[in-house]
Amino acid sequence: MKNWISICILVAVAAGLWFSGRLAYRQASIPEHFRGRSEVLFWHFWGGADRDVVDDVVLRFNQSQSEYYVRAIAVPGNNLEAKLFLSIAGGDPPDLVNQDDPIVGDWGARGAIEPVDAFATQDELKQLERFLFPAARSLGSYRNRLYAICNGLDIRALYYNQTELERFGLQPPRTIDELNHIAQTISPPDSTTNPDYFAYLPDSRRLWAWGYVFGGKFYDERSSQVLLDSQPIQQATQWIAQFGRWYGSDTINVFRRGDQSLPGKTFPLLPVENDAMVGRYVLMMDGQWRTRDIDAFTRRRAELGLPAPTFGVCPLPFPTEGAPDAGWVNGNFFVVPRGAKNPRGAMAFMKFWIGVDDPQQAAVTCAQGGWIPVSQSVVDDLEFQSFLRRQPLFSEFVRLAASPNQHPVPVIPGALFLKRTVEHTAEAAISNPEQSIEQLLQRADARIQQRLDEMSHALR
Amino acid sequence: MGQRRQIAGILFASPWIVGFLLLIAYPFLISIYWSFCRFDLINAPRWVGFDNYRRLVDEVASGDGFGLALQNTLYYALLSVPLSIVLGIGLAVMLSWNLRGQSVYRTIFFLPAMVPVVAASILWLWLLDPQDGIVNYLLGRLGVPPQNWLTQSRSAVSVAGLEQITGWWNGTRPLKLFGSKDALVLMALWSVGNAMIIFLAAMGDVPKSLYEAARIDGAGPLRRFWHVTIPMLTPVIFFNLVMGLIRSVQTFTSIYILSEGTGQPGQSMLVFSLHLFLSAFSDLEMGYASAMAWVMFVLLVVCTLLLFRTSKHWVHYRAMQ
Repeated sequence: MKNWISICILVAVAAGLWFSGRLAYRQASIPEHFRGRSEVLFWHFWGGADRDVVDDVVLRFNQSQSEYYVRAIAVPGNNLEAKLFLSIAGGDPPDLVNQDDPIVGDWGARGAIEPVDAFATQDELKQLERFLFPAARSLGSYRNRLYAICNGLDIRALYYNQTELERFGLQPPRTIDELNHIAQTISPPDSTTNPDYFAYLPDSRRLWAWGYVFGGKFYDERSSQVLLDSQPIQQATQWIAQFGRWYGSDTINVFRRGDQSLPGKTFPLLPVENDAMVGRYVLMMDGQWRTRDIDAFTRRRAELGLPAPTFGVCPLPFPTEGAPDAGWVNGNFFVVPRGAKNPRGAMAFMKFWIGVDDPQQAAVTCAQGGWIPVSQSVVDDLEFQSFLRRQPLFSEFVRLAASPNQHPVPVIPGALFLKRTVEHTAEAAISNPEQSIEQLLQRADARIQQRLDEMSHALR
Repeated sequence: MGQRRQIAGILFASPWIVGFLLLIAYPFLISIYWSFCRFDLINAPRWVGFDNYRRLVDEVASGDGFGLALQNTLYYALLSVPLSIVLGIGLAVMLSWNLRGQSVYRTIFFLPAMVPVVAASILWLWLLDPQDGIVNYLLGRLGVPPQNWLTQSRSAVSVAGLEQITGWWNGTRPLKLFGSKDALVLMALWSVGNAMIIFLAAMGDVPKSLYEAARIDGAGPLRRFWHVTIPMLTPVIFFNLVMGLIRSVQTFTSIYILSEGTGQPGQSMLVFSLHLFLSAFSDLEMGYASAMAWVMFVLLVVCTLLLFRTSKHWVHYRAMQ
């Protein structure tokens, strides 16, 4: 009797597993009206409002043709690499992956991703060459070979609170000296024991931008030399560290941490219901996506019957020997992993997304997501121009995207390590501004050089 | 019949045996080989001899990478393990007192150990917020200046910490003692419930006759605690010490969340497990990560063996009988 009961339980469990498996398979399979197409499995990391935009592009692509069906899967960004490499090693990778870390050189050198010329036609390659902005091309190119197709640029500029500047009789800064003057006028170094707000505070992650603004380079790709201890980078680091000397590193660290915990925070870092006309900063370097936050903030203030400060955007101020319209550019890009089963389908989807054949589709996507197009043809599209008229702050970022002084993290193997170490060095400079910045940079330079040399030797 | 029963037994255990061989034994053994290779998960491993181990030694000497991770892990282990034991025993003693609502108190003190580690980590991010956190608020009510819990790389038990204390003593600077590693220790102490329950159970096993004999000999509560309770708890203290040491080296999730997966500020939270994870899955250096894992494994085995050696002198097993 007991045996019969055990057998019945086993059969019931097996039937349950089979049934749930079938159910999961049916849910995961291609919908009825897209049957018969070849599937393109697309991994991305977008969530929140951006995910709706991605789902919409995917839907529009699936409806625009009858050959491919794109299935988009949102994979949490912080573990995407681990999952991707395991899937490549296991022989079952997705067909397309979205990334935004500087991994193109590293993954390309290791053969983890396919070069675009492995699955694109010569015509398509020429078309892309003409179509993409220089910054978008350089983000995806390793050793003059395109490995990734950029689908949106991220540009940083300086946001300013016009209302607060006017209260002090100041103008938006055009030079580093003017920025220093604003910082010292609004937040004098000796009166910031328990500050409610700062005129400006540097962020260690942004040494990348300031390094380029000061006219420097972090790496020379021709000689494979790290240039962290070069004069412009030293000057940029000295300038960042100066804020640590002015306000104290503890005060800066605590204040920055506080940005994360502001209840009901929106980008101006001022709760919408608050009467104040200034958030936590008067000047702040950030990306184009904040224009959307400012828009929402201003509308919400109007609904509450509260006045909103006027915000503006300007290029990063530069020193006399620095570069105008300069900064650090990064962006989102597509890569096709090694072993992808449908690279042609992936190519068709990439072209649709960035608007190679139909710029209007890309203009719709960029306007929806608040993303900077990767091509002038998309910028010029009426749909996007109409978006720019509605979002005047965004125009400045689009203008900067075409500047030749916008540079990415060098596209080399070990770029992620280079980026991380530069940021740690900048943090150390702000945290301990009394130390010798020159020695700090020399040590970091030597460490990075050694690691990059080892990596390049290993990948040879 | 006996053979059939054996086969049936093995068949029933086979899911576990297969799982063990594939998911534990194989990765465990293959990682020895990988530790002598350059391996990036995608391409075939390439034999590099002792290169990875040499790099570990270099990094220990320079204090970068593995050296830094080792220092941070040691700080965390050396503070959190003994303090957890002391706090666990202290709480167990208090919760063994015959008070009204004893079981309610026991439940309250055990509850933090039940909170999932991700939820607890997010909670501590709020509690330790330097500007709006309740911990700094409470310290402020006691007249202690706000501490830079998760924003300061220097820690309390260090030369920099000593300088802070002397500066505060001389009145030249406010007492900003605790940093990010101290926050990790504090979080470890918060979930001391598991150790506390084990101590509480062990205390219940101490024969009453021993306390009675001590009382007849004129021993007060403190002496009874020191000369009866503590010796009788030594096997459990030893168990918690060894397990705590291993656990402290393996701690990952809370540190990953508190440092946003980077080991910041100032790489002060770059502990061994996080460094291993970043090396393996972010820098794609699986060979180096395997070497690191094996070095830590050997170090842990050596520490455990040393503890077993010393246990002869301070752990009283016979006392349990």
